[in-house]
Amino acid sequence: MTQRSRSDRYAWWAVLPLLLQCFALNASALLTWPTWTLVFCSALKLRECRRPFDRRLVALLQLLSVGLLAAQLQGLLATVLQVLAVVLALAGLLGHELAGSVSFRGLMQRSLQLLGAALPLALVLFLFLPRVPPLWISQLGPTRGAVTGLSPDLDPLSIVTLSQVNASAARMTVPDGVALPTDSYWRVLVHEQFDGRRWQHTDPPRRPRGVRPVSRQARTRQWWVVEPSATRAVPWDGVSRPGAPDQWITPEGELVVGGASRQKRSFRVVDSRDAGAWQQQPPSARELQLPAEGLVRLRELGAGFRALPNDQSRVEAAERWFRSQPFRYSLQPGKTTDLDAFLFDRQLGFCGHYASAFAALMRSAAVPARVVSGYRGGYVIQPLGGPPYLELRQSDAHAWVEVWLEGLGWQPVDPTQWIQQRSSALAPLVQPAGGGPAFEVPWWQWLQRQWWGLDLAWTRWWLGFDQTSQQVWLERLFGHQQRWLGLVVVLLSLAALALGLCLLRLRLASRDPLQQSLRVLARLGVMPQLGESFPQLCSRAAKVHPAQAPLLMAIAQQQQLLAHAPLNASQRRDHWRQWRELLRQLKTGE
Amino acid sequence: MRPCRPSAELRLGHRSLYIIPSRFGALWTASACLLLLVAIQTSSNSTLLLGFLMLGLMLLAMFLTHDTLQGLTLRCDQPIPNFAGEPAHYPIRLESAQRRPPMRLRLKGQAALDCSTIAAGVSTVALPWTPHRRGWQLPPPVHIETIAPLGLFICWGRWQPQQPHLIWPRCLPGPVAELQPPQAQDGLDEWTDMRPVREGERPAVVDWASVARGRPMQAKVFGEPLAIEVLLAPADGVPLEKAREHLADRVRHLHHRGIPYGLRFGGVTLGPDRGLPHRDRCLEVLATA
Repeated sequence: MTQRSRSDRYAWWAVLPLLLQCFALNASALLTWPTWTLVFCSALKLRECRRPFDRRLVALLQLLSVGLLAAQLQGLLATVLQVLAVVLALAGLLGHELAGSVSFRGLMQRSLQLLGAALPLALVLFLFLPRVPPLWISQLGPTRGAVTGLSPDLDPLSIVTLSQVNASAARMTVPDGVALPTDSYWRVLVHEQFDGRRWQHTDPPRRPRGVRPVSRQARTRQWWVVEPSATRAVPWDGVSRPGAPDQWITPEGELVVGGASRQKRSFRVVDSRDAGAWQQQPPSARELQLPAEGLVRLRELGAGFRALPNDQSRVEAAERWFRSQPFRYSLQPGKTTDLDAFLFDRQLGFCGHYASAFAALMRSAAVPARVVSGYRGGYVIQPLGGPPYLELRQSDAHAWVEVWLEGLGWQPVDPTQWIQQRSSALAPLVQPAGGGPAFEVPWWQWLQRQWWGLDLAWTRWWLGFDQTSQQVWLERLFGHQQRWLGLVVVLLSLAALALGLCLLRLRLASRDPLQQSLRVLARLGVMPQLGESFPQLCSRAAKVHPAQAPLLMAIAQQQQLLAHAPLNASQRRDHWRQWRELLRQLKTGE
Repeated sequence: MRPCRPSAELRLGHRSLYIIPSRFGALWTASACLLLLVAIQTSSNSTLLLGFLMLGLMLLAMFLTHDTLQGLTLRCDQPIPNFAGEPAHYPIRLESAQRRPPMRLRLKGQAALDCSTIAAGVSTVALPWTPHRRGWQLPPPVHIETIAPLGLFICWGRWQPQQPHLIWPRCLPGPVAELQPPQAQDGLDEWTDMRPVREGERPAVVDWASVARGRPMQAKVFGEPLAIEVLLAPADGVPLEKAREHLADRVRHLHHRGIPYGLRFGGVTLGPDRGLPHRDRCLEVLATA
């Protein structure tokens, strides 16, 4: 195989992990098309390249592609593929420059050594160079694409449909020593507009101005990985604060992550004392609105509650009424979407029915109310590697109600809980903390959960170091002396560069005994001549340095034995030891 | 760049090596900056680290490219004389304590020589060049450069070798004075014996005179042709430089035919002789006298 095709082969291998990641991209993301174009161009250029410069350009295009892919795919598997692509692209670059004089293994080693040598400097800059927030707010992620999950438009049946989907919705882990909440409500969307049948959610158009920066002392509360969904709002406990500047809490109490919703998102939330400010946000007229017509019996019932003195007593009266009726909980409630028919005739429904009906009833009783959709419960998974995590599935989707109570603000009410005939499906299913291959899950699902555990551990470790974490870390290191940070970064960078260079020079020096011996002889000023054997070279060196003659002749003998004699393993070790000792003596001039 | 003084050897080091980013290096840096911008916009740690890694590799490549040439010793070797106007090779000895990545050497204005690897020890390379002037000529400065191992920087050095290269005059056919005329042209008269004609024998070797006298057909047996001795000198009326070129051509021609020749030129007279040393002496006289 020619040298050229060998170096091309390494470059072709780098295309494979890039292509694999390209399949995971969403076509509607802004960065996807440049990434696909770059990967395609690099493959095309590799096929057509004739000049050395073209081959170097291919390696650069591949590295650029990796960078763009890394900005979109941050999971563990994607990161492994990205590292592989970087090593192969660099090996392709080296393979071309070293003109096939190094074997594949040597080339990969050289590539890893180069990356290892550049890593100290990169880490210094990564850790110490203060992060810059996004220069402008941009929607770089996908905006379209088929996803499963909560919908901005909630009708009573939509949750029923979702409850039959077993796909994962999100995974969450907590700091060590903190117990995972297994029966919590994770709010996602707030639906304020009611048209008599559907509860609609309005997406906040853009980030509000003047969002208070996250406190640097704030402790991380949870790490989340959320699967692609139709909305930018993500599961949230309602009391934490987001940990990054491009995430914020809307006045309705939704946690919005700036990244596009149609791709997997990872984020963390931190402890906060005032994150519950959304609960005190006074209700708007929309949250009392009912359709102009219809729902006659519901309105009559609600009007009856209006006579009660305050909102609290109206809610309690409605609860009593719900508890007194023979409502039944069912996963097959039929096609009924009319709330009057549900409340007074069939009385059979799912959480969507109860939440919709209760919120409408409260509005008819002049109590501001809205429907909240999200998840409830979840499964605690203990993977073999990594910390335990809570898995929320689409089947954990749930809807409940928030009512405005004077003096208390927005309070959650879950009418589904009042229903006596709940099916066991609603009860939180918590797997034993021992985890392991649960008998009720198929093997592939068990493997998937193990992988998710590793993925979440990676997310927690790698994504945890964001702008805020860096500020906290720098503050802990430098206190109030951060004006010296620039000087420290420069000095550390120089030290890291020197360290990388030393490592590289040390490792790049050949381990071959002949090459090592030649280096020592070169220090003595004796260079090999054309056609000269090593013993001849040593004889010549002995004439130049008569004091070292016995050592030189002994080295020549050991060298010949190591190179040509049929030695067993122990003999070889023995001669290696003797040769090293002789070389050491020659170096030190003993 | 300041002109370098001729020297017998040069050890490449900080004072004799120059380094700048290559065009690819500039593209590399721009790409790293682009990745940093994407990382800032997307808050992606992986992209940020990759951008910093690329910048780190760029900085490391500066030292590594410099290391490729640093410590390499260039030494003059003995060049073989050559005719002017014909491709020549100027030998350089490279002395290195360790094996080195690929590099490129060339004499200024001449074709480059790519060395895939330089082995540890002494190795010799012959740099191609085409001299146009006769005499003892210093070759153009040696330019040694490398972009290995990553192609991000170009590191180069220049060296003017001290050892001149003897360049003989260009060979140009033309009139030459031959002071001693040749004694025989074809050698067919100097036969020494007779033998019976064999089948397929050349008619030229048959002794037709004897056949005409009625004797049996016999073939002539020839001995070694007698040496023809000439003393070459510039032809009358030919400019001196032209005469050198004509004489050089004639010397080469006679040397190839194995005919003894002498030379009288520029006050120097070399007696008739043949062989390579004699040819070289004659051509050196023509080049330098």
